[in-house]
Amino acid sequence: MDAENIKSALADITAEQDPTIKSLKLASLCSTLWGEQGVELVVVGGSAIEILTEGAYASGDLDLCHVNRATLPIRQRQEIMGQLGGKGGPRNWRVAGMYVDVLGPVESFARTPFRRIRGPYGEVLVMKAEDLLVERVLVSVYPGENPVARKCARDLAGLALDGAVSMNWEEVLWVANLPEYRNVKECKTLVNEVAHELALKSPYDSD
Amino acid sequence: MNLPSKVPTIPIDGCISYEDWLKGRRHRREISQLVSPGIIRRESSSKDRRLKALYHGERGLPFTPTEKL
Repeated sequence: MDAENIKSALADITAEQDPTIKSLKLASLCSTLWGEQGVELVVVGGSAIEILTEGAYASGDLDLCHVNRATLPIRQRQEIMGQLGGKGGPRNWRVAGMYVDVLGPVESFARTPFRRIRGPYGEVLVMKAEDLLVERVLVSVYPGENPVARKCARDLAGLALDGAVSMNWEEVLWVANLPEYRNVKECKTLVNEVAHELALKSPYDSD
Repeated sequence: MNLPSKVPTIPIDGCISYEDWLKGRRHRREISQLVSPGIIRRESSSKDRRLKALYHGERGLPFTPTEKL
């Protein structure tokens, strides 16, 4: 991506006032520039859930991880983010009126692919819905009740049941059954509950 | 069997276009609001200081109302 295109993208992202579009655009630009250096980025956490659900949840920062095991050397990271006028570093920067965190290698268990959106400045990888659902269900219950995590889990389940977000329901149970989670029952209960509220069939209905 | 979604699906395989992602925003918000109404942005986190400094005391830009999506 040449300097002129970067400049124009930055002006667009800086002027953007919709927080979810701003996140997606910035993820698109960062992914392209890091990708040119051989590092694939993926949107994770609240930013990923917001892009998938529009749940009015995420705060004003963008959380990214790298898909590859290794990240870039600090100097190279600073140079790339410097091209974007980024301030700070070496793991978080203020860019185009928001914060970007590059947190390290992505923690994912699902064997499904990352979700992909062809963003305005290049493709954006988004965390797998199966991982996000199982993780949020866990956090909604342990170590104590967490209503924000529960909202995220319910939003994801609702949109997947509706069909607006594709979900591999078998993979959800596979992930939930891993020693890292062990929350199959809680996942089934939440999905069934949302399905019944929406008058939709649950993949986990016994009949 | 549930009916197909009314909006372009964010697929497991393949890539959704930016235009299709934009088209689905309102529907996604409506479903989210149906299953868990309201804006539940976390009230605090370890990043509060920098967020509130950037967003004039808030933790992010205001969300676009559903009817404007």
